Amino acid sequence: MKPAALGPDKKLRVRSATPWYKEIWKHRMTYTLLIPGLIWLILFAYLPMGGLSLAFKHYKANEGIWGSPWVGFENFKYVFRDPTFAQAVWRTLYINIIKLIITFPFPILLALLLNELRMRKTKKLFQTVFTFPQFLSWIIVSGIVINVLSYDGLLNSTLQLVGLPTINFLGSEKMFLPMLILTDVWKSTGWGAIIFLAAISGIDQDQYESAQIDGASRMQQIFKITLPNILPTVTVMFILNVGGLMSAGFDQIFNLANAATQNVSQVLDVYIYRITFQSSTDFSFSTAVSLFRSLVNMVLLLAADRVAKLMGGDGLFR
Amino acid sequence: MSTATAKRHKYRIGKMTFLDYTLLVVLIILSLMILIPFINVIAISFASQKEYADNPMMLFPKHPTLDAYKALFNDGRILTGFWNTLKILVVGLPLSLFLTSTMAYGLSRDKFPGKKIIFFLVLFTMIFNGGIVPLYLVMKSIHLTSTLWSVILVGSFSAFNMILMMNYFQGLPDSLMESARLDGAGEWRILFSIVLPLAAPIMATITLFYGVAFWNGWYDAMIFLRKADMLPLQNVLRTIIVESSTNVSNASSVDALNKTGFSTGMKMASVFVSMVPIMCFFPLLQKHFAKGVLTGAIKT
Repeated sequence: MKPAALGPDKKLRVRSATPWYKEIWKHRMTYTLLIPGLIWLILFAYLPMGGLSLAFKHYKANEGIWGSPWVGFENFKYVFRDPTFAQAVWRTLYINIIKLIITFPFPILLALLLNELRMRKTKKLFQTVFTFPQFLSWIIVSGIVINVLSYDGLLNSTLQLVGLPTINFLGSEKMFLPMLILTDVWKSTGWGAIIFLAAISGIDQDQYESAQIDGASRMQQIFKITLPNILPTVTVMFILNVGGLMSAGFDQIFNLANAATQNVSQVLDVYIYRITFQSSTDFSFSTAVSLFRSLVNMVLLLAADRVAKLMGGDGLFR
Repeated sequence: MSTATAKRHKYRIGKMTFLDYTLLVVLIILSLMILIPFINVIAISFASQKEYADNPMMLFPKHPTLDAYKALFNDGRILTGFWNTLKILVVGLPLSLFLTSTMAYGLSRDKFPGKKIIFFLVLFTMIFNGGIVPLYLVMKSIHLTSTLWSVILVGSFSAFNMILMMNYFQGLPDSLMESARLDGAGEWRILFSIVLPLAAPIMATITLFYGVAFWNGWYDAMIFLRKADMLPLQNVLRTIIVESSTNVSNASSVDALNKTGFSTGMKMASVFVSMVPIMCFFPLLQKHFAKGVLTGAIKT
């Protein structure tokens, strides 16, 4: 073989022959670059992860996380026996699954509508309006929501004016989930449409041309060309959303719940907050709940990632 | 290229049909549904309490007044909130850019022992975390609770942002760094005098990502900060809006705050002033976030 072709091979062999400590010494500068980030990871990611060991301990304030005595799975016995815990898990899934199913099509519909609009400049303007709420915190949005949906707010006053019955959006258990769906659609639809718009703009324009020559109507073009073409994106987005079922919506629920909706708003994250920082603080118990939550979350995320990749998407992590 | 754009145009340009006008009307109605709540909020903030009571549906106050704003700023809590958030941003942004870019550059270098493990350590934080309880206990054990540092530090690194930046660094031409290395420049010098100036676009994007996260953040502050005079803007806003509307169940640690005395006008004024900075930066935010989402999630 030609020596040029041998080159890289040889180099590799030479490199692997260098002792590891020399390799490390050679890259010492690179390691110093990583030190600040690693310190952060250890302090604020991996120490807390180690702190999850508290789930198997009996927490004593004066002994701290590391000094408290081990108790095995005892905390989990109490966790799984606690009816409030089971309710919180069930409530989390119930709220997030229904919310996902109902809200998911809206960004796709909006993307289709925007795409069909032939005025470029106007389209940009619409997009600006629709995406704006996404950049506001749920606290700001809840300020707006409380104003618009309250008993004497904009919407109910309008309903009254046209002679319709008013709706107690914020203070009734029955309206809590519909209110979450309504406000989530209001806040997130425009932003969600961006990914689908990008997918649509990637479709080969020739397909539309030949369809037009064949005399296809615009509706037919949407159903026969646009939708099939963005189906992979739609599938991947849906699966990624499934990955977040256990943790989604905390900010929204926490800031839109009140005394009247206390029972129906107790999703897992809210439950963890309440038992840790509001009622008597049994840190071992809430750590056990935290560990359960983190594990389920991880399994969901990994499963979603795997399925998304099988579907031909990029998954969560590239 | 020109044929492609020509085709595009042929498809785009055509007579406005009935369908097009219907579409336009539908989109206008939808955008009014987004806009009217904002207009209503702003109108109420500029109206007197009496005018609001008479007509809560107003879109424009007949007798605009600054009373609500005067009362809000006289109360002063919102100013404390702005001040604390400003402190968080001024310290947090440089720190987060430092932590993110050093790690991103280090991990974008050629193979070195341990690179894969360290990258995995970063990636793993995206799928698994200890949750709030151990984090709180760790923070307490290093005596950072009740200081703004807790909020700043927790928010100053994100694996997602680091990976975005790392991908960008990997795309930079190697020759520049190689020649600097031959001239005897160390990796730190290369990062600060060659890589970062070349990486202005990604730095802008990541700055905005961290900036919005710091601006909108409230959860960490609610957990770690116990004194009212330390709360960042969003938490002050929360005490004004959420907790004052008979929200006893979710009351956070800020019992010290007096929860009464805010008129609807003052509440809406506080919503509006907290929104203004986002509005000012919005064109930038929209552009950079769309870019980030599209590179981070899905490519078609």
